[in-house]
Amino acid sequence: MKSKARIAAVYTITAVMCFGLFLVAVNTGSLKVTPQQLFRGLFVEYDKTVATIYDLRFPRIFIAMLGGAAMAVSGVLFQAVMKNPLADPGIIGISSGASFTAVLITAFYPRLFFVTPVFAFLGGGFACFLVFRLSWKGGLNPLRLILVGVAINAMFTGLMSCFNSATGSAYTGAASIVNANITMKTWDDFKTLVCYAVVGLVLSACASKRCDLLSLEDKTVRSLGVNVNGSRLFISFAACLLASISTAVIGPISFLGLIVPHIARLLVGSGHRILIPYTMLLGAFTFLLADTIGRTVAYPYEISAAVIMSVVGGPFFIILLRRSVKKNG
Amino acid sequence: MGDVFEIADLNFSYGDNHVIRDLSVNISEGKITTLIGANGCGKSTLFNLITKNLKPRSGRIKLGGTDISAIKLRDYAKQVAIVHQYNTAPDDISVEKLVGYGRTPHRGFGLPGNSEEDEGKIALAMQITNIEKFRDRAVSQLSGGQKQRVWIAMALAQDTKILFLDEPTTYLDIRYQLDILRLVKRLKTEYNITVVMVLHDINQSLYYSDEIIAMKDGAIIAQGEPEQVISEQLIKDVYDVDLRLTEVDGKPFVLPV
Repeated sequence: MKSKARIAAVYTITAVMCFGLFLVAVNTGSLKVTPQQLFRGLFVEYDKTVATIYDLRFPRIFIAMLGGAAMAVSGVLFQAVMKNPLADPGIIGISSGASFTAVLITAFYPRLFFVTPVFAFLGGGFACFLVFRLSWKGGLNPLRLILVGVAINAMFTGLMSCFNSATGSAYTGAASIVNANITMKTWDDFKTLVCYAVVGLVLSACASKRCDLLSLEDKTVRSLGVNVNGSRLFISFAACLLASISTAVIGPISFLGLIVPHIARLLVGSGHRILIPYTMLLGAFTFLLADTIGRTVAYPYEISAAVIMSVVGGPFFIILLRRSVKKNG
Repeated sequence: MGDVFEIADLNFSYGDNHVIRDLSVNISEGKITTLIGANGCGKSTLFNLITKNLKPRSGRIKLGGTDISAIKLRDYAKQVAIVHQYNTAPDDISVEKLVGYGRTPHRGFGLPGNSEEDEGKIALAMQITNIEKFRDRAVSQLSGGQKQRVWIAMALAQDTKILFLDEPTTYLDIRYQLDILRLVKRLKTEYNITVVMVLHDINQSLYYSDEIIAMKDGAIIAQGEPEQVISEQLIKDVYDVDLRLTEVDGKPFVLPV
């Protein structure tokens, strides 16, 4: 049990760090502004530097934060519904299922731009269905689930690469999803993301009690008068929605939905009413951090945030896997 | 007092395996009723049928006159609480929080937080099971016997008149077994709760039950007060072993060797 004061402190510190990182991110690149200049330029009078930053860097920063939040919360939800701390929408193929359909739509029907997330959701939902269907044997064995997920992930990633190579990467919009590149994102992309992400995040907040209950044995949950499968479906829906929309806009990100919830649980405990909002905050911070590091380390070249996440997340995943194998035999 | 459950002509099978055959039985109100039988006799299946975890192939199970298939899961949970044999909880959940989950059928998924009534029921459940002193501890830090009391407290917080216990003493050493069985007795005498349980130990069943239901091959072969039901022949029929019967404190006692 974590005390209320401790939880409040953790929330506050993370929020402050998130804001600080935001200012750093705004100032990362060839143009620089001071916080005062930024404030004046945004709210008081026109400033050319601030306006440029507003158009070029702001959308990207907000997309990184919102996408990171969505992806991290999706991870929490999948972990609750699959009773598996290793379930990450990136690793088990939900993101790649979503990005595959998003790539097809972006390439062939670019005018459907605004509804790309809907199609991504169909792809993500289908991948989720496959994972459940193929790994269900009277229950979900944790390692079996991960193995099935990895295979499905590989398949969709392969299909995507096939498509990208076969078209000579001619569809830049599609290629940017394949590579999870958020460099060229605009306010339009942000608007698309906001519309769907808010729905998903609100749903996830409503699902917190159900997530808590699912941590008990299925039979026990039923004896409390709760329809277990209905709850599973509801949570999976929210989780797929969040993973798919963020994938549709920022591309498939692995390990974010794994690392962030794990750290969040250590800091604020496993009660979802507190865990889910905190995961949003920490997810936003973490992905923006990855993006900002990616922009800085090899300047003027950029390393995509997805790549940074994979480099850091891979070893982390192995540590968690070793631990959980020890625990579950 | 009447019967809480009326079960008639019940049949159930897993594929070709006919587990419950034309079973009819009534369970009386305000008593401790224990299901006994050898492994695989169908008592767990019967337990799962009465608790709505399985659907019968044919036959009726009525709770207070209403077929349970017509009772919504949530409404059923307001009348019947069940403690299953095997339970898990997150590592860091507190006793009080877990007991509070017992309020779910009354509270639903609406606003977070407990009403005054909820708080009262949770406090009472913890008091009855004598776990108040652990209320802020993590469930994972408790011993097996203490954990079992927490799960029973969660069921009590459901505030039902009927309580099902599936092998509540399995995995516990003798001291905690008695602890739980004495608690069960108190639930009946002090709080007038109807208890239906599955037990493996014949002597504990005889000693703590008001009524015994003995099962074999998916049917009931004896039902009634322990003193009247138990015989060397019945033990032979149920468990297929020859055991001698004696008497302790005027109650029948089986020598399990």
